[in-house]
Amino acid sequence: MGAFTREPVLVQLGVLAIGCALYLSTLGQTFSDVGSAHSPMFFPRIVLSLWIGLAGLALVQSLRTTDGQSRPHSLLRLAILVLAVVIYSNLITTYGFFLCSVGLALVVLPIFGIRHPAIVGVYALAVPGSLVALFNHGLGMPLPTSPFTYLF
Amino acid sequence: MLSHLPDALALLFSLEGILVLIFGTILGIVLGAMPGIGSTVAVAIVLPFTLTMGQSSAILLLLAVYAGSVYGGSISAILINTPGTPQSAATCLDGYPMAQRGDAGLALGWATVASVIGGLVSAVVLVFAAPYLAAFALNFGPIETFALILLGMTCIVSVSTGSVIKGLLAGMIGIFLSTVGGDPIIGEFRFTYDIWQLYSGFNLLAVVIGVFALSEVFVRASAKPTGVSELVDFRGVILPKLSAWRGRLRNLGKSVVIGNVIGVLPGTGAATAAFISYAEGRRSSPNKEAFGTGEPDGIVSSEAANNAVTGGALVPTMALGIPGDAITAVMLATLTLHGITPGPRLVEENPTLIAAIFAGFFLINLLLLPLGLLLSRVAAPILRMREGFMMTAIVILCALGIYFVRGNPFDLIVMGVAGVVGFLLRRQGIPMAPLVIGMVLGPTLELTLRQGLILKDGNFFAFFESPIALVLAIVSLVALALPLVRAVLASRAAQ
Repeated sequence: MGAFTREPVLVQLGVLAIGCALYLSTLGQTFSDVGSAHSPMFFPRIVLSLWIGLAGLALVQSLRTTDGQSRPHSLLRLAILVLAVVIYSNLITTYGFFLCSVGLALVVLPIFGIRHPAIVGVYALAVPGSLVALFNHGLGMPLPTSPFTYLF
Repeated sequence: MLSHLPDALALLFSLEGILVLIFGTILGIVLGAMPGIGSTVAVAIVLPFTLTMGQSSAILLLLAVYAGSVYGGSISAILINTPGTPQSAATCLDGYPMAQRGDAGLALGWATVASVIGGLVSAVVLVFAAPYLAAFALNFGPIETFALILLGMTCIVSVSTGSVIKGLLAGMIGIFLSTVGGDPIIGEFRFTYDIWQLYSGFNLLAVVIGVFALSEVFVRASAKPTGVSELVDFRGVILPKLSAWRGRLRNLGKSVVIGNVIGVLPGTGAATAAFISYAEGRRSSPNKEAFGTGEPDGIVSSEAANNAVTGGALVPTMALGIPGDAITAVMLATLTLHGITPGPRLVEENPTLIAAIFAGFFLINLLLLPLGLLLSRVAAPILRMREGFMMTAIVILCALGIYFVRGNPFDLIVMGVAGVVGFLLRRQGIPMAPLVIGMVLGPTLELTLRQGLILKDGNFFAFFESPIALVLAIVSLVALALPLVRAVLASRAAQ
């Protein structure tokens, strides 16, 4: 049972489960086709069958391998970074490129060990600021702006 | 091809053309010199900015970044013993010991000259080989094209680093992602689950940037933080004297040939070429004992071969529409984004563009010499930049680039998700290059298979009535079987 809690096995199980779920979603759908190669699901079903077969083999490989995989140095650091990037990519069009990028830089720089407040502050303002100045006001290719001001 | 050269040169020697070549080469050298960024990430970061450019400028910018980054990788390999790109790993073996001896400038001089010669010869090979291959490929119908793309896929996954099964699995995931959206024959939507943003499918660029650039940031964040690298004493590049080349030209020639041949084979890559060339250089060198201690032949073997791969890899890409590696897959994606269909008809349908690309590639390799000499000094301090600054800039530039493609917020979400998924898959040793190549080749693979089956009344075995398709299918099977045979032989040898 312990083998099923290892990261490689969990990920391979996830890949296999997604493949199976996608294949099941192709069944029972109706299309205006005349069957075989005309069917929109003809090719995806072949690909998904291979996906499932290969994911099964990869899972067996993972179960048979006992080599310990190196754990991330700091799971917390990684989790914060992933969360920050996902939030950033979701909010950028709502709150504007500048504000979101400043926020992202304030989170990412300390994650990578840069913690001096002045350096973090200057970098977080300067990089997004110069990009906004270049694209919005220099090249005339506007980046998303915030709901607070049209300037950034 | 030659009849279109004047038009191509007019494109190249316009102000925009010259600026693109110079700027792209500079950017490539600087990005390539930064450890861990690599050619693929460098090209992926620059790609979105090409969308506002013309077709030829866009491709030339990416080519310049590609060629520049392969050379740039040697700067960090020699000065801090950390290859900027995987293809420069073999350069560390002799470049860094030479630099430690106090000859960093000379080591970079050997690397620069070998890189330029390797790149220039590969440009000549590209100019002569690609049109012939393309002319032959014009005889291909849907069945032959299907077999050809299948061969491209099998070659690529069969040489995937690590497990063949994982390489194939990544290829299947990529092909599946390419099926999301409208069906190419009857136009009905597949796997969209009422999410209207998926009607046009996944944005290839968002996936490419996510799985290569963004996942790299996550990989770096998951590793133990590294300190700032110590630089060896370096006061500029010193070119080796002509007399120093005596006895080394044979090694140079052999390395260039190895690089070109390996470059043409889909999926093999510059890193493999550099190591094979290094091993061959060591085997045949009269100074074999000195290899690994700062022997110039070691630097020449590695750098000439890895730069010669660049032109070689473009031969199947431009002539057949089959990407040799992840970088050429990204270039094919760029062609698609600019409304050009990659494939056997690419050369015939876009002769001026192709002539401009070929001539431009030659010029880029010429530019490597002066720009390499100038930029090595500028790039050296950048090597001491802290990782966090680079990683933050990469995330911001990725988002900015993706936003400019279509201004679609959904693409940003796709990029973020692709980054997380790419990171998880990379940790399990699932390579990302087959995934991207699957996404690029998937639509043509599906279309030609289905067209062929419709033409042959659903009889798949009729595919092999075509001699070309039969030969290509046999080669595909051999390409797939080779790694399995190698694995069996290796396990027997181990027993």
